Amino acid sequence: MKKDLTVRFVGSAGDGLVSLGLLFGKILKMHNFNVLGFRSYQSVIRGGYNSYQIRFSQNEVLSVGEDADIIVLLNKHVTKLHKPLVNPNAMVIYDEDIIDLDEFDYPENIIKLGIPLAAITKEISKLKVLKNIVGFGAISHILGLDDVLIKEVILEQFGKKGEEVIFTNYDALDKGLKFAEEKGWLPIWEKHKAGKARQMIITGNEAIALGMLSAGLKFYSGYPMTPATSIVHYLTKHLPKLGMIVKQTEDEIAAIGMAIGASYCGARAATGTSGGGFSLMTELIGMAGIQEIPLVVINSQRAGPSTGMATKTEQADLFQVYGASQGEFPKVIIAPSTVEDAFNVGVEAVEIAEKYQVVVIVLLDLYLSEMNATVRKLNMKRNNMRFNILENPDDNYRRYEITETGISKRTVPGTKNGMFFTGSSERTETGTSIASTLAGLPDTLPIRVEMVKKRMRKLDCLIKELDPPKLVGSKDAEITLVSWGSTINIVKEAILQLEEEGIQANHLHLKYLTPFHADEVEKILANAKRTLIIEQNFTGQLRDFIRMKTGFFIEQKLLRWDGEPLVTSQIVEKVKEVVKNE
Amino acid sequence: MSEEYSLSLKDFESSFRPTWCPGCGNFSQWRAIRQALIDLEIPQEEVVLVSGIGCSSHMPNFLKVYGLQTLHGRGIPAATGIRLANPKLTVMVYGGDGDIYGIGGNHFLHACRRNVDIITIVSNNSVYGLTTGQASATTPVGTITRTTPRGSIENPLNPISVALSAGATFVARGFSGDLKHLSWIIKEAIDHRGFAYVDVLSPCITFNRNQTFDYYRQKVYKVEDTGHDRENFSGALDLGSQIFIKDKIPIGIFYQIEHKTTYEERDFALNQGIIPAQAPLDLTEEQIKIITEEFY
Repeated sequence: MKKDLTVRFVGSAGDGLVSLGLLFGKILKMHNFNVLGFRSYQSVIRGGYNSYQIRFSQNEVLSVGEDADIIVLLNKHVTKLHKPLVNPNAMVIYDEDIIDLDEFDYPENIIKLGIPLAAITKEISKLKVLKNIVGFGAISHILGLDDVLIKEVILEQFGKKGEEVIFTNYDALDKGLKFAEEKGWLPIWEKHKAGKARQMIITGNEAIALGMLSAGLKFYSGYPMTPATSIVHYLTKHLPKLGMIVKQTEDEIAAIGMAIGASYCGARAATGTSGGGFSLMTELIGMAGIQEIPLVVINSQRAGPSTGMATKTEQADLFQVYGASQGEFPKVIIAPSTVEDAFNVGVEAVEIAEKYQVVVIVLLDLYLSEMNATVRKLNMKRNNMRFNILENPDDNYRRYEITETGISKRTVPGTKNGMFFTGSSERTETGTSIASTLAGLPDTLPIRVEMVKKRMRKLDCLIKELDPPKLVGSKDAEITLVSWGSTINIVKEAILQLEEEGIQANHLHLKYLTPFHADEVEKILANAKRTLIIEQNFTGQLRDFIRMKTGFFIEQKLLRWDGEPLVTSQIVEKVKEVVKNE
Repeated sequence: MSEEYSLSLKDFESSFRPTWCPGCGNFSQWRAIRQALIDLEIPQEEVVLVSGIGCSSHMPNFLKVYGLQTLHGRGIPAATGIRLANPKLTVMVYGGDGDIYGIGGNHFLHACRRNVDIITIVSNNSVYGLTTGQASATTPVGTITRTTPRGSIENPLNPISVALSAGATFVARGFSGDLKHLSWIIKEAIDHRGFAYVDVLSPCITFNRNQTFDYYRQKVYKVEDTGHDRENFSGALDLGSQIFIKDKIPIGIFYQIEHKTTYEERDFALNQGIIPAQAPLDLTEEQIKIITEEFY
């Protein structure tokens, strides 16, 4: 019996693919499986060719899997398009009322499981999407899922829509189950029952939103852009209960501008977008930097340049965010790796921003933003503190006082005796502009020098607080794999597979890109037998970044930029090729 | 309150003298803003003056309040964020025609329709002063500037008509040459519940030889003297359009309506009296339950 299974629903936009995937994920989670779901889609609202793939196991699920064990075809159009992706041993479930599988020349050995979905659905209701639930009933039988448990989940999902909707769904489920049973389809797994552990199943975007909320986020503004938009959707849903402001603005410039205003006022604030929107935000990132206003900016990367491929993943904005805005100022860049890590980074980003009065850029990517995964309990109950806010300033208060750490305490509007001016120009300790009001005065030159040093010192302090990167795996491994962001678990899975084949590889995964632990990274790489960079871009941005920061050149590269997430077998093959060729 | 309030014009001055050219129209606005704040007895620490980039945008340097100078055109978004984070504050945006009608035009449009309770004052001199004299969005056709040496070929924007059409609930125009009238308008604008917008005809004595103090003095008349009802929208539109079609330029309060709800009153958090800037940071057990229920 297999350790884990991969199921792929294939259909068009409008077929209810995503809700089916989410529902299925939840049901599997209730059976105590670990689950990872990911959709592959096009930027269209109706039609097209989309799929939703779910992999589940009682062990940890590290990637969304490659070949699907069970494929569910929702319409005729996609049946033709999907042919090259069907593995020879797959089980194919399809609506035999609309699809004649023999027409399509699918691999010979597949198990064809046709169901008259349209006919069965017609008996129950006029609602065509119900056929998804009928099909689902049949899959449940094959997977040995507990129908009582499934009905519980259906009740939770559709409970608000009224009794009739629930019972129609139950009916559809039962009809699907019964059909499979009567046809004599055999369950491929033994019967599963509900587990005790209460896991959550959430996306990367929801996780980072939860993290920021746990850290006291009170203001979020954004302009719709895939794949960051679902952060706004999630926050907006709950805002009346949270006492916070969530604003959709006229553009990304206003989105970051409002967040800066709110943060200047003392509210913990963030904004989020993808690369295109980030371009528009760039100028104000520099302003928040010189004004030392705390701010979290999320960039969920998608395939670029320009509009690129709106619904596809990539890791090609590293240099964009690293160089964002003119001049030099301290900027923090963190790249979360998993859904759980996205939560932790959400908390961390909000805290670092306020404590150090800096802009913290969080680099997500579409794969992480949209993957839907089971996670262990997240620690949302915290004792949040305020950092470096002065409530009773004395007569000597200087907003931009030069300090050893580079951090100066700030006052917020409304505070008596705390008034100060801050502009977007260089300034004195009290805030007066040395670019206009005091321009040209000779004694402003040392002020400029000290102000730049003061701001940059913050990063020297911060880096001491951050966990340095560690080498995971055997020190004597034949090769060191280097990665960042959402690819972490795919690399991990590849390393496990290589081990089974007798090849030892270890792993250096980077999370904090600025400030950067250059000494630690260099030491690890210098001791490696061979090095391979793994990234989702064309040029190898992290590879160049590491070379720039450490002087170390990572010789081998595995790069993917077609918009789909890397898969484990690609890494395994590449490693074998590198190791054997020497 | 009024017995305790003793702030003077001097109290609102920062330690720096304005760096504008002597005779600049911005000086009277510097005074009018302070006068209006004093008349309304607003404490200094409850005022945030936000600006962009340009000669006029230097204003927060010269006032003793919370002053935030942003980037070119970006005063309105920052001010909106400030006001939403703490609705107890009096939040004003101050900038020029290049700043608010040009590069920040999109924000201006949306601020008008949103009706957040902030005040936007535009020092309108029909020229880019700080970059030494180029055409702006309100430069009349045919004007010779350094970027239009053969005369401007673009029609100017009529900001009053734009603001009215976009839904601003307080629309006025003042003149830097009439301080008393200007102070009164700004006072009414601050007192207005909702988005208040004041265009100020403010001559640039260095780079604009056409729209001078004398030019305006001969043309302006006060709408208050004509019996205009400030709740009359079509009357306001008519007055607003006169700047181009007649030789007379109306100043005063063109339009004010207060029955429309403000953004703050419609917002789900703010209408419960929550001040995001001061709200507790920790999630309660109940909040955690509500926001995670859908993931189980």
